[in-house]
Amino acid sequence: MGVEQSSAWQALQLHCDAGVGSQHLANLFRQPNRVSEFSLAFDQLYVDFSKNRITHETLALLMDLARQQKLPDAIDRLTRGEVVNETENRPALHTALRAQGEDVSGYAAEVQPQVAEVLEKMAGLANKIRSGHWRGYTGKPITDVVNIGVGGSDLGPLMITHSLQTIESPVRLHFISSIDGTQTSNLLRDLNQETTLFILASKSFTTIDTLSNAETAKDWLQECIPDDAAILSQHFIGVSASSKKMDEWGIPTANQLAFWDWVGGRYSLWSSIGLPIALKIGMQGFRELLRGAHMMDQHFMTTELEHNIPVVLGMIDIWNINFLDIHDKAILPYDARLRYLPSYLEQLVMESNGKAVTKSGDRVAYKTCPVLWGEVGPNAQHAFYQLLHQGTQAVMCDFIAPTTRDDFDPNLHSEKNESLRHQHELALANCFAQSRVLMLGDEAIPESLKASFDSPFKHYPGNQPSNTLLIDTLSAHTLGMLIAMYEHKTYVEGVIWEINSFDQWGVELGKQIAKETYQAIKDPTLLDAFDESTKTLIKRVVP
Amino acid sequence: MKISVFGCELSGLVTAGSLAHTGNDVLAMPVGNLLKVRDLEQGLLPRDEPGLTTLVKSQVTEGRLRFSEDWQAGIAHAGIYMLSMPSWRSEKAEEVIEAIGQTASKDVLVINQSTFPIGTADRFEASIKLAFAQRGLVAKVSVVSMPEFISEGSAISDFSKPDRVVLGSHDQQSTAIIRDLMRPFNHVTDQVKVMSTRAAEYTKYAVNALLATRISLVNELANNAEHFNIDMEEVRQGLGSDNRIGFNYLFPGCGFGGPSFAADVQSLVGTLQSKGYDADLLKAVLQNNETQKEVLFRKAWRFFKNDLKGRKIAVWGLSFKPNTATVDNAPSVKTIEALVAQGAEVVAYDPKAGASFRRYWGERPGVTLVDDMYQALDGVDALMVMTEWRRFWTPDYEQMIERMRRPVIFDGRNIYEHSVLKSFGFRYFAVGRGDPI
Repeated sequence: MGVEQSSAWQALQLHCDAGVGSQHLANLFRQPNRVSEFSLAFDQLYVDFSKNRITHETLALLMDLARQQKLPDAIDRLTRGEVVNETENRPALHTALRAQGEDVSGYAAEVQPQVAEVLEKMAGLANKIRSGHWRGYTGKPITDVVNIGVGGSDLGPLMITHSLQTIESPVRLHFISSIDGTQTSNLLRDLNQETTLFILASKSFTTIDTLSNAETAKDWLQECIPDDAAILSQHFIGVSASSKKMDEWGIPTANQLAFWDWVGGRYSLWSSIGLPIALKIGMQGFRELLRGAHMMDQHFMTTELEHNIPVVLGMIDIWNINFLDIHDKAILPYDARLRYLPSYLEQLVMESNGKAVTKSGDRVAYKTCPVLWGEVGPNAQHAFYQLLHQGTQAVMCDFIAPTTRDDFDPNLHSEKNESLRHQHELALANCFAQSRVLMLGDEAIPESLKASFDSPFKHYPGNQPSNTLLIDTLSAHTLGMLIAMYEHKTYVEGVIWEINSFDQWGVELGKQIAKETYQAIKDPTLLDAFDESTKTLIKRVVP
Repeated sequence: MKISVFGCELSGLVTAGSLAHTGNDVLAMPVGNLLKVRDLEQGLLPRDEPGLTTLVKSQVTEGRLRFSEDWQAGIAHAGIYMLSMPSWRSEKAEEVIEAIGQTASKDVLVINQSTFPIGTADRFEASIKLAFAQRGLVAKVSVVSMPEFISEGSAISDFSKPDRVVLGSHDQQSTAIIRDLMRPFNHVTDQVKVMSTRAAEYTKYAVNALLATRISLVNELANNAEHFNIDMEEVRQGLGSDNRIGFNYLFPGCGFGGPSFAADVQSLVGTLQSKGYDADLLKAVLQNNETQKEVLFRKAWRFFKNDLKGRKIAVWGLSFKPNTATVDNAPSVKTIEALVAQGAEVVAYDPKAGASFRRYWGERPGVTLVDDMYQALDGVDALMVMTEWRRFWTPDYEQMIERMRRPVIFDGRNIYEHSVLKSFGFRYFAVGRGDPI
């Protein structure tokens, strides 16, 4: 029996059909105290989920569904390190990476010593590089570090370092991910072999995207450095779960940072994959990031479902997707430093839950992961908000903003600071205005303006559900909390849908076929095995 | 004349001592540091500068030089005030100016020798004038700029036999007083160059900027000469004999240091940037010099094939130049930091700067200081010469060979002759000369 036939699911369906599902948000907001009841605060995070089409009863029924699906047990199994990724027969222990020895049990506790050991080694490398004592082959300090990685080995460090860009770093960081080589050749033009260090980040250390870029980097170094041993010892660091593959590539042991198969790629920024983060903000900053995430882990593990932020937000997504038939989710940060958060969450959410088969191998009879995308909110207002306000489909939105900016001195009263403060307030005003209009639609139009909006083209249906997530400031600590929150929320949804959120078989076949296709580009005699379209495309490349 | 000198560090003491020596009645006051009047009177000075202790003691004994911690006494003592402080004490100088404005009771002539930002003299003058006006005091106020061009190690002769005296003054009477004050040092030919106060202030920065640029350019030319197997010493002869160039400041080496030289250039760059202008060349000069400080480290790094762990390295010379105990911004400091960070072990000798280096280094491991230059060589893999103290120029080569584990010399001041060292069996690496690496 699928979850859609279960009693808790059916109860929600009845509740929805009884009229709650067709209520307009503007109506729901006529009841008093809605916000105090539909908001949660934890540490430096405040979540307002009142702008969802829910009532008390909805939440209660959602929690019934969560209990029916044994969510508390699932949380326990995840964080203790039991096998939750059945198709690959392993745990998913990203929470163990950030525990720093505290509040862990089970296998999560057993792995603490090796986690601590790698953190120590990472600290040693990061400090050496940041202090200018990691030397290139001529003895000059490294000034530029290039992270070569793709997917989880790219998006997390890229997103976090970009988010914390106001923290000054002693080295410049660069990211190369795309297989086509454009990023690499553009970047290398501006760098100097003497002072550039490459991080090769790949869980398997077989990722063709990363290794092909690494070969190009190595060729570039060989243009100046006659001694291959010097290239490998001074200009490459490897981060991987396979020390054997790193050995084969030639990375010296001293330059190898390990992580483990129980760390999912998209959950790996907390591991040694986070080295670029440590280089950007220092190892102390990296540990603050871990601590922020660990606080959210504790909240997730110990708070009752009704007040548990990842649980509540995850269950509201279930309501929106499976009962209100909404299949799009927009991530809208109102701070340009969070520019890469949408692409990071695209991977986290859609690679985790973009699946149609339950853990027992049966095809699901309900929708799972929504299409998730996003953009810095104020920019998106000039792009796709038109669709949010007047398009034909409903979209769930997450508005995210820091309430204060700590990157300018509050005591300094320069004109520039005043302008920046003013700009921050403007951004927040826009954030709050957009979620309000999306909720209320025409009802948000003040009486005095009603006449000028009296046109079918100026009609705003509203009723778009949204969450607003406020953090005190954008810091390593709050980022850690925020990202961990999204990880857990994603897991919550996977548990309800009875899918495995930790494998990604969908991306495997394409990799295999790319190898065959590459061979065919090299050797046209192999073309016959291909379909007509692919054959024609290849012929256009290889005349 | 009665003179009050504010500041008792190198510049203040040299000024006070030299002016007392020519007959003036000088009262000197420490500003912003913990110097004790009693120590100063007994010749216990903060700087180990050749001849300075003798000068100060003799002038104290003869009664022409006194010290006081009381600024009020200093303000009452004279109408001529010398500001002789390091550039980083400009806030204290503001306090002195405020005190003068509040308590002086007659005509005031302030002579600023310190390297403070451009426009300081004008600002100080306006500040005292305003204070006088508020007090209803009618008296003449003149603030002039007379930048000091003294160098550690030769400070007294730099003051008393100057190439020229740069005087920024817009007041004829003040100019006349200062000419008279400086007459004993300006006797043979008139070397006082009178200009606007801002031009005088800028001249000080410009001199340092030009010298720093020249050193860095010579260093870059030397580094590049190595790539073509050219001996920079031969090139230096060719360059210096060109009248347009001359031989001064033409030695390549492991970079310049010291408490104020680079800091002054940096301060000029900072001032320009804060006003929205840029100083690309000077920024490059400073960056180039920081890189040059590690030139010997880089040679050793390559010589030992990117692995200095466990290597024992002798360092001769810690001070930023000979005849001083100062290690501020010295190339030795940066080089030793780099060596120890790679796991090398350093044994260092300096005739004077050992104590100040020890204060800088603290209790960290990795560096041993010894009292004998040859003792530093016992069992080392290489010697680095960082400062051209006289005693290093023609050492006992045989003893060196005997004591060193490997006869390898990295010479940051180009003081040795390659062929001589070769004949003793040394490998020799210098800046723009020596063995290729």
